Amino acid sequence: MRYSDIRRHAGLFSEYTELRVQENRSSRISVLNGDVVGNAASSQAGVSARSYKDGVWGFASSPEAGDEAVRACVVRAAANARFLASVEGRDAKPLPSRPGNSEHDLSTAKARVSRKELIDFARELDAYCQKRFPGLLSRSVSLSALDMEKTLLSSDGSASYSLIPRSLAAISLTVEAKGEPIDLYDIFGGRGHFEDNFDKPEALFASIDLLIERLKQKAAGVYAKPGTKDVILDSDLAGILAHEAIGHTVEADLVLGGSVAADYMGRQVASPLITLVDYANTASGRLCPVPLWTDDEGIEARDAVLINRGVLTSYMHNKESAAHFATEPTGNARAYGFYDEPLIRMRNTAIVPGDSALADMIASVDDGYYFLRSSNGQADSTSEFMFGVVMGYEIKGGTLGSALRDCTISGVAFDMLKTVSMVSGDMSWTAAGMCGKKQSIPVGMGGPAIKCRVNVGGRA
Amino acid sequence: MGAVIDGMGVAREALAALKAAGADKASASFSRGEQNELNVDAGRMSLYRSTVNVSLSLGALVGTRKGSVSLNKYDGEAIRQAAEEAVSMARSSESDPANDISPARPLESFEHGPSEPDNEAMYRRLKEFVDYAAERYPDTKLEQCILDFGRGESCYANSNGAEFRDRSGSYSFSAMFTTKRGERASSFNYSGASHRGLDKPLKDWGSIDLLMKQSTEQLDVDSVEGSFSGDLIITPDCFGDFISYMDSVYIGDYAIITGASPWKDRLGQEVVSPLLSLRSEPNGPGIEIGYSYTGDGFRAENCPIIEKGVLKNYSIGFYASNKTGKARCPSGGGAPVVDAGDTPFEDMVRSVKKGLLLARFSGGSPSDNGDFSGVAKNSYLIEDGKIVRPVGETMVAGNVAEILKNIRAVSRERVDYGSALFPWVLTGGVNISGK
Repeated sequence: MRYSDIRRHAGLFSEYTELRVQENRSSRISVLNGDVVGNAASSQAGVSARSYKDGVWGFASSPEAGDEAVRACVVRAAANARFLASVEGRDAKPLPSRPGNSEHDLSTAKARVSRKELIDFARELDAYCQKRFPGLLSRSVSLSALDMEKTLLSSDGSASYSLIPRSLAAISLTVEAKGEPIDLYDIFGGRGHFEDNFDKPEALFASIDLLIERLKQKAAGVYAKPGTKDVILDSDLAGILAHEAIGHTVEADLVLGGSVAADYMGRQVASPLITLVDYANTASGRLCPVPLWTDDEGIEARDAVLINRGVLTSYMHNKESAAHFATEPTGNARAYGFYDEPLIRMRNTAIVPGDSALADMIASVDDGYYFLRSSNGQADSTSEFMFGVVMGYEIKGGTLGSALRDCTISGVAFDMLKTVSMVSGDMSWTAAGMCGKKQSIPVGMGGPAIKCRVNVGGRA
Repeated sequence: MGAVIDGMGVAREALAALKAAGADKASASFSRGEQNELNVDAGRMSLYRSTVNVSLSLGALVGTRKGSVSLNKYDGEAIRQAAEEAVSMARSSESDPANDISPARPLESFEHGPSEPDNEAMYRRLKEFVDYAAERYPDTKLEQCILDFGRGESCYANSNGAEFRDRSGSYSFSAMFTTKRGERASSFNYSGASHRGLDKPLKDWGSIDLLMKQSTEQLDVDSVEGSFSGDLIITPDCFGDFISYMDSVYIGDYAIITGASPWKDRLGQEVVSPLLSLRSEPNGPGIEIGYSYTGDGFRAENCPIIEKGVLKNYSIGFYASNKTGKARCPSGGGAPVVDAGDTPFEDMVRSVKKGLLLARFSGGSPSDNGDFSGVAKNSYLIEDGKIVRPVGETMVAGNVAEILKNIRAVSRERVDYGSALFPWVLTGGVNISGK
């Protein structure tokens, strides 16, 4: 429920302060082998305040959002900041200010579907999977949704409201091949309520057909051979590369914490074909998967062009890091729950498309792989990354060959990006990502396909 | 912010609301927690955080149809609405005879640890740690360290008459760090632990001091040459990940319900090396920060999971047990303790012809068949019985069950994380590959 007239609390502020009233509403339906094993809804609502004094922060939160709880939070946050300042305070540069005053409610305008209809939707997807592939060892279908509703007031003049919904359908299938279980998954949906992302179950049947076809190919597939290979990373992997391998190393708090990117500003870190942007809310005229107009410090959010034609041009900042680096804040301060403090987080991180055609890129590889879908990714302060790959194909003489069993790819991103020799002209977003960094938070990742060289790990 | 709430009263009120809304069977859990937290960012103390939260979860069964709602409100109207929503959700769902609640059990109450933080000691211990790190490891940057004290009360009640109440308080500390000298940087590493008190310096919690020392050695790394089948000495921090993988692929709810587990019919059989014994010990004594009852409403009882290589219990809950006919895990499956072996760590190293000391594994979740592959982080090459050098851009690949079968030694030494206790483990038959 929308919080009204947050500005009336401005008189409580005694230090630089942000006040946030927030509710996260989530829902999950899980169907496992035809049984509804999960049918749950959750709400977490409350208020938090964060104050800044002499280079340190105080934070307090409460599940109550009445005026007395708001007052208590503001007082406690300021007291915490003063206590820490009394023992650890230092000369600190003033925090920069660029107050955002935005209101965005991305709720559906359609009538909301009932719980029964959601369960029926999931069960119809499950039934279709079983009908199309009776030999499946297991089937898992889940529908999940998260609404994040925030009202923010900052002492430097920001007053903002947002309600950003996300809804996803995930399907995971397992088949037995030579006595071993082989699995593959896909996720559909993204920004928006269920009603805006999904129509009838039939609309997903073609995607399920493709998932089943690829699972069959994978079950009959081969293991990737370990070693350094020429590969085509499809958009799913290019997106996770942008986020994990590069994005984290150029978050300003991690730069201050020892990232190798601290020494690379203004230097050529990638092929001139690579431009990488953390978009605030809009890319190429279209709304991003996780749009942000005002961040949780009250900064008007702007795009951060991290790499421009191969040159490192920017970090992602909150107010404090922008002051430290004597630059403009980018509006990357985000918090997951009302009880969380804002951290520097990515929003919608993507490699900008080039001008090659995917077919030409595959044809240019004599002995390598085409990697399509990742499971997870991890990165490092050194920019060394690892992605799990759950779907891909061999490329032999420029032609796609056998499908691959699961493997892992790795490399040092600032080395690997210099090997990029082709970038496709198309672009797609992954809108289902959750990024973990003290708190877990939704992020968007996107990109074209890229041709590069990476290390492939496998057991062959 | 420190209001006293009758947690069991809230849980009972929620049960009554569920029954009034039409639930045939019902369960409710209520918890209230407070957290005091000091944060270090980029080497300096940066944030003092105080949070309060409550959580009320309601489960409704209409026949064997189930609905669940959780919220962080507990006033009468919020409870009534949540109860009606849970019952409505249950009515919208499908029948599943495996849905049920735990049997009656008179109220049991438990208390563990301090009820209030020692704020002065928290600050003193964290400052001592920051100063120690700056002096002992001047090139090592503390990316983020968090020392928190969490205390609270959690209550469970169901309509069969099972009731539990647990009050506990404990300190948790985690440290994440990178060493940087000039333009050279090590991989980040991290560790942490939980304890009831602040008696020990934070550097001595878990393996933090050892990993910080190793971090200073990892500025210059190189890949191993070629690809070979070799040994792994898996460190306690890393072995915890492999225990989690074993749980998810072979003995956990999902693997057993779907039937995808390769061990689904192996209870009572030897599934891994007889040198490995894993117990779930929520009541101690090996575990300091355990738990008293399980999320599905049973008293948590210590139990073996693997005993000298033999699978003694799946780590499945009540639903999976009802679904599959296999026995429920008496402990709930947490608080893992791996028994110490009789091999000194140094002797384990001496016995390796060629392999890695695997200190951190950065990899994808294993496949349903247990295959895994990933990058060896913060790790060392071992050749001819000696730790030779740190490695980078080096990948390992294998199968979770195979590496547990191939265990040749378990160390005498163990690392105590407060909520887990792990040794070093020597295994073999793993693919190790460089660039």
